[in-house]
Amino acid sequence: MPTATPDTLQSRLDRLLASRREAAAWNAAYEHWVAELTRNGAVDHALRPGDKFPDFILPSAEGRLISLSAIRATGPVVICFFRGEWCPFCRLMLAALAESLPEIEAAGGTLLALTPETGGLPLDMKTYHKARFEVLSDVDCGVGLATGVVFTIPKLYRALLAKSQPNFPDRHGNGGWLLPVPATYILRPDGVIAWRFLDVDFSRRPEPADIIAALREIRATA
Amino acid sequence: MELSQVRYFITLCRTLNFTRAATQCNVTQPAFTRAIQRLEDEFGGPLIFRERSLTQLTELGRNIRPHLEAMLDAADAARATADAQTNRRTEILKIGLGPGIGAGAIAGVIREVTTALPDVTIHFDESGPAALVESMLTDALDCALLPDHCDMPERLNRWNLYRDNAVAVLPPEHRLLARNAVTAGDVVDETILVGESCGGFATRLAAESAQPLRLQRCHGATSQMLELVGAGLGIALLSNRLRFAAPLATRPFTEPDLSRGILLAVVAGRPLNPAAASFVKLCRAQRFA
Repeated sequence: MPTATPDTLQSRLDRLLASRREAAAWNAAYEHWVAELTRNGAVDHALRPGDKFPDFILPSAEGRLISLSAIRATGPVVICFFRGEWCPFCRLMLAALAESLPEIEAAGGTLLALTPETGGLPLDMKTYHKARFEVLSDVDCGVGLATGVVFTIPKLYRALLAKSQPNFPDRHGNGGWLLPVPATYILRPDGVIAWRFLDVDFSRRPEPADIIAALREIRATA
Repeated sequence: MELSQVRYFITLCRTLNFTRAATQCNVTQPAFTRAIQRLEDEFGGPLIFRERSLTQLTELGRNIRPHLEAMLDAADAARATADAQTNRRTEILKIGLGPGIGAGAIAGVIREVTTALPDVTIHFDESGPAALVESMLTDALDCALLPDHCDMPERLNRWNLYRDNAVAVLPPEHRLLARNAVTAGDVVDETILVGESCGGFATRLAAESAQPLRLQRCHGATSQMLELVGAGLGIALLSNRLRFAAPLATRPFTEPDLSRGILLAVVAGRPLNPAAASFVKLCRAQRFA
C-alpha cells in the first residue's frame, strides 16, 4: 500500500511549477532564468552562515520604520526575501509561513518578509495572507544588494513579464528590472547568520519545518 | 550582484578612469576590472567602452547606471539610518511643498521619521514649483511635493503619491452651504479669491469655464486669504487636504473635475541623509488615501 506523500510546501510548489511549465513560453523563460543565474553566478557571493547580516531600517506595510537591530535584540530573526505579491510561488510560501507563524514564534523567532514592491503592495500582500508578521518594503532593493541576493532579470523572463502584468517600473518605483532571489536567512540575536536557504530556482523554497528546526537549534545552543 | 561590484561601477561612472576608480575603492586594478567584467556578464553586454585613454559608458552602461546608483544609495541609506538611530545623529529633513499643498497628508510619515530619529529637525519650504526645483538642484531641499502638471527636469526622480481634490471654502451662512457639492455654474456670480498659494484650482476653472469668472487676485499666504474669505470678500478654491478652522466651511467642488496629482520629487543620484532617505522610502512604500 503506497504511503501518502505529506503535503509539504515543496510538493505544492512542484505542482504549481508543473502546471506553469505546460505553457511553452513560460517554460522556456523559466529554464533560461535558472540556467542564466547558474551560469553567471550572480548570487554566488550572497551572504552565508557566519557572515554578519547588515543592520537596516525599512518601512513596513503599515508605514512604520522597522529596525532590524531592535528586533534581533529580542531573539533570532527569520528574514525572507520575496519577489512580490504577483508571484504565485511567493504566495504559496507566504501562506505556508503565515500558517507556521505560531510555531516560528514558539521557537523564539521573529519573521520579517522583504519585498522590493512599493505603493501599498506590501500591505496588499500582508492583508491577503492575513499575515501577523511584518512585511517590509525593500525600496530600490538596497538590503537585497547588501545581502548579495539581487540580480537583473534575465531577458526571456523579462520579456514575458513585460507583456503582461506586473508593471515592474510602477510596482518597484524604478525601472531597474531587478529582483531578489527568494532567499531565507536566520540570524542569531547578534546579527550573525546561523542558517540560510538560497536557490536560483524560484520554485525551490525552504520548508517551514526546516526554519523551525533551525530556530530550535539556535535556542538549544544559545 | 554584489554590493562591491555596484560600488565599483558607480565609482567608475563618476571618474571614467579605471586606475583612479580602483584607488578610490581601495582595491587592486585587476580585482576591480574582474568585478566590472562580472557585472557586464550579468547584464549581458559591455557597460564600459575603452579605447586608448578614452573611457566612456556604453548605452547599456548609461541605461543601468541610475538604477544601480539608486540601489547602492538604498543599501547605504538602510545601514546609515540604523547607525543614525543608534548614534542619535542630528539631521535636518528639508521638504518643499508646492502651491496649496499642505503637510497633512505626510504628517504621519514625518511622525514616523521623528519617532525613529528623534534628533531630526523638520524644515518646510512652501513655494512655486520652479523655485522648489531650483532649491532641490542646489541641495537646499531634500525633496518636494509638487503638482503633477508642473515642468520638471529629467534629473528629478518622481513618484505619484496621491490626488488632491478641490473644495470651495465658504464663509459662514453662505448660500452655497445649502448644497452638498459646488459646480462651475454655482460660482459664476461669486468673487473667487485667487493667489499663488492656492494650488491653481481657480485658475484652471477660469480657463475651462465657458462663462467669465470674477477673480480677485490676492497674493500671500493661504492663512491671509482665508481671513478674507471669513470677512466675506469672496470664496476660495483650495485642496481638500488643507484644514480650515470654523467658522469657515467647505463643500466639494465637483464639476468640472479640478483634481490634481501630487508627486514626490527627488534629485536622481544624490544620496540623502538618513532622515530624508527614510521619509522618501516611507512615502514610496505606502499607498496614500
